[in-house]
Amino acid sequence: WSWGGRKGQGLNLARKNEEEKKERETEELKKEVVMDDHKLTLEELSTKYSVNLTTGHSHQRAKEILIQDGPNTLTRPPTTPEWVKFCKQLFGGFSLLLWTGAILCFVAHGIQIYFHEEPAKDNLYLSVVLAVVVVITSCLSYYQEAKSSKIMESFKDMVPQQALVIREGEKTQINVQDVGLGDLVEIKGGDRIPADLRLISARGCKVDNSSLTGESAPQSRSTDFTHENPLETRNIGFFSTDCVEGKYRTISNLDMAVAQTPLFGVSSSREPKLFLWQCMEGVCLALTTKRMARKNCLAKDLEAVETLGSTSIICLDKTGTFTQNCMTVAHMWFDLRENDESRQRKTFANNSDTWFILAQISGLCNRADFKPNQETLPSAKRATTGDASESALLKFIEQSYSSVAEMRKKNPTVAEIPFNSTNEYQMSIHFREDSSQTHVLMMKGAPERILEFCSTFLLHGQEYSMDNELKEAFQNACLELGGLGERVLGFCFLNLPSSFSKGFPFNTDEINFPMDNLCFVGLVSMIDPPQTTVPDAVNRCRSAEIKVIMVTGDHPITAKAIAKRVGIISENTETAEDIAARLRIPVSKVNPSDAKAIVHGSELKDLHSEQLDQILRNHAEIVFARTSPQQKLIIVEGCQRLGAIVAVTGDGVNNSPALKKADIVIAMGISGSDVSKQAADMILLDDNFASIVTGVEEGHLIFDNLKKSIMYTLTSNIPEIAPFLLFVVLGIPLPLGIITILCIDLGTDMVPAISLAYESAESDIMKRRPRNPKMDKLVNHRLIAMAYGQIGMIQAVAGFFTYFVIMAENGFRPIDLLGICLYWEDKFLNDLEDSYGQQWTYERRKVVEFTCQTAFCVTIVLVQWAHLIVSKTCRNSVFQQGVRYKILIFAILEETFLAAFPSYTPGTDVALRMYPLKISWWFCAIPYSILIFVYDEIRKLLIRQRPGGKASLGPAPTEWSPAP
Amino acid sequence: MTKNEKKSLNQFLAEWKLFIYNPTTGEFLGRTAKSWGLILLFYLVFYGFLAALFSFTMWVMLQTLNDEVPKYRDQIPSPGLMVFPKPVTALEYTFSVSDPTSYAGYIADLKKFLKPYTLEEQKNLTTCPDGALFEQKGPVYVACQFPLLLLQACSGMSDPDFGYSKGKPCILVKMNRIIGLKPEGVPRIDCVLKVGYLQPLVAVQVTLAPNSAENEVTVECKIDGSPNLKSQDDRDKFLGRVMFKITAHA
Repeated sequence: WSWGGRKGQGLNLARKNEEEKKERETEELKKEVVMDDHKLTLEELSTKYSVNLTTGHSHQRAKEILIQDGPNTLTRPPTTPEWVKFCKQLFGGFSLLLWTGAILCFVAHGIQIYFHEEPAKDNLYLSVVLAVVVVITSCLSYYQEAKSSKIMESFKDMVPQQALVIREGEKTQINVQDVGLGDLVEIKGGDRIPADLRLISARGCKVDNSSLTGESAPQSRSTDFTHENPLETRNIGFFSTDCVEGKYRTISNLDMAVAQTPLFGVSSSREPKLFLWQCMEGVCLALTTKRMARKNCLAKDLEAVETLGSTSIICLDKTGTFTQNCMTVAHMWFDLRENDESRQRKTFANNSDTWFILAQISGLCNRADFKPNQETLPSAKRATTGDASESALLKFIEQSYSSVAEMRKKNPTVAEIPFNSTNEYQMSIHFREDSSQTHVLMMKGAPERILEFCSTFLLHGQEYSMDNELKEAFQNACLELGGLGERVLGFCFLNLPSSFSKGFPFNTDEINFPMDNLCFVGLVSMIDPPQTTVPDAVNRCRSAEIKVIMVTGDHPITAKAIAKRVGIISENTETAEDIAARLRIPVSKVNPSDAKAIVHGSELKDLHSEQLDQILRNHAEIVFARTSPQQKLIIVEGCQRLGAIVAVTGDGVNNSPALKKADIVIAMGISGSDVSKQAADMILLDDNFASIVTGVEEGHLIFDNLKKSIMYTLTSNIPEIAPFLLFVVLGIPLPLGIITILCIDLGTDMVPAISLAYESAESDIMKRRPRNPKMDKLVNHRLIAMAYGQIGMIQAVAGFFTYFVIMAENGFRPIDLLGICLYWEDKFLNDLEDSYGQQWTYERRKVVEFTCQTAFCVTIVLVQWAHLIVSKTCRNSVFQQGVRYKILIFAILEETFLAAFPSYTPGTDVALRMYPLKISWWFCAIPYSILIFVYDEIRKLLIRQRPGGKASLGPAPTEWSPAP
Repeated sequence: MTKNEKKSLNQFLAEWKLFIYNPTTGEFLGRTAKSWGLILLFYLVFYGFLAALFSFTMWVMLQTLNDEVPKYRDQIPSPGLMVFPKPVTALEYTFSVSDPTSYAGYIADLKKFLKPYTLEEQKNLTTCPDGALFEQKGPVYVACQFPLLLLQACSGMSDPDFGYSKGKPCILVKMNRIIGLKPEGVPRIDCVLKVGYLQPLVAVQVTLAPNSAENEVTVECKIDGSPNLKSQDDRDKFLGRVMFKITAHA
């Protein structure tokens, strides 16, 4: 039994649903789509929706629209009614078996009434008890199921899609369902389109309509009306499709009927499984999701947690994953010298013209903006929209130069090329009212890329033509800043000739303006300081033998600096470059196996897959730098070729190929784009890498706890079966009957088994290797050997001991019991002699027999006490682990009560044939309980002393077996 | 997954063969001889120890037992009743007066049952006072004589056929032995012949109507006159009572 297959099944099911649903919807779809919004001009559009195309709706109007039209959501597929769910619990799987049993008992009783005048009422009572048990347990499991599906629901609500709308001229982030008809929406690369939209302005926009049309290639979108069919025209974007790159401003028009993609239904059909295990799984799921959510780690399903537990490689996208994701400007380099922002803010600020221009570019060629309604806060603490480095620049300029909003008002943007990973630059053209040259082109981006555009440079406000001296200084500055792990941006500008007068139609798709011979201004470097918890988390991963691979778009030097800071490259190891520098030999001559790998993206491009495998296999610490999204995919595939389970973190839309390939996708809750959140199996709400480790830990834990629970419930099978075997073989009166077996399986064992799910992690949980999902099964031969061969045997022997004690103390010595059962079961033999010559009627000796059965049941409960305590750990001593007393004591009390209650309650002797026990009989099990405890402690001691030993002696049932 | 399913039968067999015995590693069923040996040794020691613990606890328990009196007697506070001869099926006696073989079994059974009660066998037993409890303090216990003559016609002394040949079959009703049972009052066994015959005796002799071809009587015997000896229990049909049926053919 594993969760492995379920993902596939779920997908198939969803696909099937999709087909069915499509059929249903074809009828609706045949109705012609009535829509003409794409044909309208902007003015017509403005009047139609009575909205101002620059400032948007007023808040009041938006509210009215929302009330009038309702929230902007797809109708969800109809959910199964609650009573159907309940009936499924009541009549499904194992419950059905119990019902059959109850009905059979009832029928048997009816037959007895028919044939005998005064039938024994055993069967009637048994059928009633069975029915009550089924009803109670299905109520419990229904409750459990409802609870866990509620958690799933809340998960959906916890990651609401956001949309950036413009209302009363302000950009506001709102939930997608609040977007109303005619709202102005701004969308950038990576966003999910929040409604059916008509584009009113667009720059380099591309959308991925694959969820709607199946076309995987991104399609470019612009404001032009290109096709009669609304599905074909370029100026419409559809709800729930993704914007891949670019930025555009749109107006939402919700009155359009478009084929809705069915929401993914979570497959709830399960194979009929043992009832108890079902309960345990439910509890584990609920507990784990809850526990992880408390640690800011949201898992979409149990499978995700489980996969994370077997993860052996984590591919980290640097950005945001283990940094604070709060870029701050650290250094600036202009006028051929470096300015340390943190120390010299006051001194350098006002005395250079270069600084003035640099600040202008930083503020204008910048798409970040402060969120509204927080003017009172200091600018460093204000929330912003836009990407991290732009926000850093924005805050920096706001603090040390002047109000950016004012600057932007004076110099409105007329054209823009947004940053993307192929360009590696961002360009904007601004209109200047107060200057002779009406337009200025500003650009920022990767320093090398910026330098390519430039032919001059700015020194103290004067332009000089580019020379080698500058280039060298530039290179050094880049290296130095990058070596500190900082992200360096280059800035340049160009005053466009006055021929580009006001109103010139700049076209960024087919460039109709000069974009070369720019003037280089300077560099600004920013750093995103690593989170303080990350080095520890990386260490913990390493001790769990999880490889942490950094895959980043950054410069190798930056990547190395960050990797060193957080311990991905450990303190005393050297890279090939370090060795080369130390030995004064060229890098190419360094033996690659001596060094920790840092692979440049361009190298990666030329590597064969064998070479990549070699790198992945031979190096413990790997950093891939300057990688493109395609290369990230290659890396993930390479890892998987080696048999690793790969977790990939990603916060950007550019990661999606790699995300799709990964075994488990971890998205960032704060910085992550909607696309990555949708694709994610797990979301880190606090964007903290350490939370991944929590997830891994939980993955190990849930596997551990399930194993413990299963071990616990399996064990009592032996003392349940052995009595019947000995009854047949030795001819002794039956030591354990059906009712008492049911009492153990459905009563006493239930809560303790579930309580094991509450068990907290053992201290060594992160020192174990990742589980190999192919080799390590939930139930393996070691667990079986342990449960059946050892603990189960001890329990059975304990039960028999109690049985013989009661028999002997009532007059039947063990030796006389052998073979007695032929006479014992004879209803008309009413003077069966015991060892003392007393003569027993059939009924009286049956009472003794049932008393023995009750005592056997109680004995199993008592030895299960010890077993429950030892099951709490698989390697650590119980004394090391410490025990969560509340749940343990509750479980023990509950199982004892369930055993004692039917024994001592008057009337149960008639109904259940369980009889009161003498106090001394409760103590028979004690030596065996102690034996279980001592035996298991010794076993754990041996395992701890010989870690990783294959231990044919001292088998470890819950040990992770070594990876091949 | 699909790859596994498509494995040919030959491959499957070959894999099994390799599993059963792998000549390269010397593994038999996935383990080497040494590994199997260790496992065997482990379980030998383990079960040996378990058996020792079981034996020890049993020994301790047996030490606490008394040789004469069982530790607890509360499970049989009151004796049951049992009849002799023991019928083959349920509690029904079927015989034919004219056919001696049909009741030979009953007579043999009765004789065997009464053998310990003959004068020779009871020689060493004490004669006890009639109508009073005979209490002993030990350590040597003696048993009371039970004069067979008390059974009168059913003693087998005057009539070796116990009345079966005459259509007056004898059935002995016996009270089960319980150690330390002290009846209060004067217990007696009342038998009620459901057809209307009454004989307050431990030995019941039923006189069947001589001329009918087939006779069927049901007799119920009960302990009476002693408040601590129960004769009424919903479940236990033999607690202080017994019911049997005699069917006699001509």
